[in-house]
Amino acid sequence: MAEEKNTQSASEWKAGPGAYVALIVAIVFFSGLLMKVDGMKWLSAFDFTTLGGTFGTMKEPAKNNFMGAGGISARAGFLFALSLAPSVMLALGFLEIFTHYGAIKAAHKLLTPLLKPLLGIPGLTGLALITDLQSTDAGAALTKELYDAKQITKKDLVVMSAWQYSGAGMISNYFSIGVALFTFLTVPVIIPLVLMFVLKFVGAIFVRIVLNTVYKGDFQDEQ
Amino acid sequence: MSNNAKPATPSNPFDIFVIGARKGFQIAINNLMPNVLMAYVIAEILNLVGAMQFIGKIFAPMMGIFGLPGEAVTVLLTTWLSSSAGTGVAVSLIAKGVLNGTHASILIPALFLMGAQLQYMGRLLGVADTPKKYWPLLMLASIINACIAMIVMRFFV
Repeated sequence: MAEEKNTQSASEWKAGPGAYVALIVAIVFFSGLLMKVDGMKWLSAFDFTTLGGTFGTMKEPAKNNFMGAGGISARAGFLFALSLAPSVMLALGFLEIFTHYGAIKAAHKLLTPLLKPLLGIPGLTGLALITDLQSTDAGAALTKELYDAKQITKKDLVVMSAWQYSGAGMISNYFSIGVALFTFLTVPVIIPLVLMFVLKFVGAIFVRIVLNTVYKGDFQDEQ
Repeated sequence: MSNNAKPATPSNPFDIFVIGARKGFQIAINNLMPNVLMAYVIAEILNLVGAMQFIGKIFAPMMGIFGLPGEAVTVLLTTWLSSSAGTGVAVSLIAKGVLNGTHASILIPALFLMGAQLQYMGRLLGVADTPKKYWPLLMLASIINACIAMIVMRFFV
């Protein structure tokens, strides 16, 4: 952040006091002066070389994979992230196939009848909500279209937003990012996913109740 | 993924898989890798400065409600900014032995229920034109959801 500011002001040929502070911090950070200060080990938290960390080593070659064991900081993080790539590619590859063969359409059919009784919003909002499970941006765009076409009221819009906002892009995010934690889980992978889906409704119902009580006056001209 | 225009998408499942796998590679390289690297470095800074032990002590009673050690609060705070970063912090804490598999299971639904709320304000609420007046309410609902999720997960682990 500080660095960005620095280059900006440099391009305008004006260097304020902040620019000099940034330069000094940069020099100290990369200099290695803070790497080993006796009695003040915590200073190494501001040293480039220390934060670069170490790769893990093959302590037990039979058990360790390419990440090794005991790695720290940037180097360990890099190798760990690299180790996730295969499962993310596999998950999204299959997700693409299931979507292609209509899994989303079937889910849409099943979801629609639940919307009116649980959330008080019309069934036609189902597509926007289902889409949100996969892509936050596409879901948001569909929601806006519905409101612009006056097919939903402002209250419907807020309830729909509540459903989408908590755990947005749930399925894609869970299988592309959450996958990093799958190997550590002590429960089947499906349980957190189902729980999140149920709680999306709980959150939206909570918002619906608040809108019907605290913000009752806001929506009197509708309906 | 959502715009499955018929002529553009091949009908052969192998090709479809490859399209998805390519997206997965993009996510792994562009989203996961920078975020996980950052999370590992932040965790190391907090550790070297000694803030981690401090945070652990302060938040121990609050996180105890959810069956988590105090340090787990760093996962929840970072996930609010970005789910990838939050996941990265969780993984780095597991690597350090601060969290275990049980803790990870309790945290994982909360990671996404209150995940990336800052980004999604723009990407979701902004795009959908949800009136700003209700944004705090929606945020509160998400945080309540995350708390309920952690309590419920305690019964599964």
